[in-house]
Amino acid sequence: MMGCGCNDCEEMMQPYLDGVLTDEQVREAKGHLERCPPCDKRFRFELHLRHFVRVAVDEDMPPGLRQKLSSLRST
Amino acid sequence: MTEPTSAEARRLAEVARDRVRFEEEALELSDQVYRVARRLVGSREEAEDLMQDAYARAFRSWQQYQPGTNLRAWLLRILTNLNIDRGRRVQRSPDLQPLEEGDYYLYNRLESTIGDENPDEERVLDRLSQNSIVEALAEVPHDFRDVVVLVDIGEFSYAEAAQILDIPVGTVMSRLHRGRRILKQILADKAVA
Repeated sequence: MMGCGCNDCEEMMQPYLDGVLTDEQVREAKGHLERCPPCDKRFRFELHLRHFVRVAVDEDMPPGLRQKLSSLRST
Repeated sequence: MTEPTSAEARRLAEVARDRVRFEEEALELSDQVYRVARRLVGSREEAEDLMQDAYARAFRSWQQYQPGTNLRAWLLRILTNLNIDRGRRVQRSPDLQPLEEGDYYLYNRLESTIGDENPDEERVLDRLSQNSIVEALAEVPHDFRDVVVLVDIGEFSYAEAAQILDIPVGTVMSRLHRGRRILKQILADKAVA
């Protein structure tokens, strides 16, 4: 690929975006992203993709289901 | 037979009140629970069915819910258990071990379909349609999909997803990692086909 060839960075992407890295690792990742536009772009893409996936698969509850669930109440 | 004491009557009234409150709160969350449920199964009908079974069971065993804990997670735990009980595991997805690509794979594949040397990431994302995402998610094998749906769609933490599915946190993390990669691989194949 045409990025930095930095495998560590690719491996770091998910935990970084999930917010589970240590402060030290976050500093390292941020430092790298500032110096490496190809990685930075892929990180931003991933962030947008996650949001897009969430929105794309969103489906409202079918009309009537709420009523059916309510009728299961004991009270 | 003596009359119930007033203390006993008060206690019963309190339990009844708690029960009403529980049922109302559970119903309040039904939209959010449905959003997750819909992606755990293949069709809207299945999701509706599963929701009704889950709510019937939740209303029956309401006293097992500990007030103050995450009710949405508690409801989804019941729902995922029912889903697994339904014999879903029997018709396990074939043992396909998809060739696993890295996390940059989707971006690289999509970017290569754009003539530009260095396109914005928004333009790269535009290569994906809403439909392709819905379809791709449905194709991710169950075990991985459950975790991706809970964390990325339901926005549960690793620990909550682990509790809901009754698996260790480490397993949540490894399935999430693989599941997201599998999803991206399927998406890439659909977009570049």
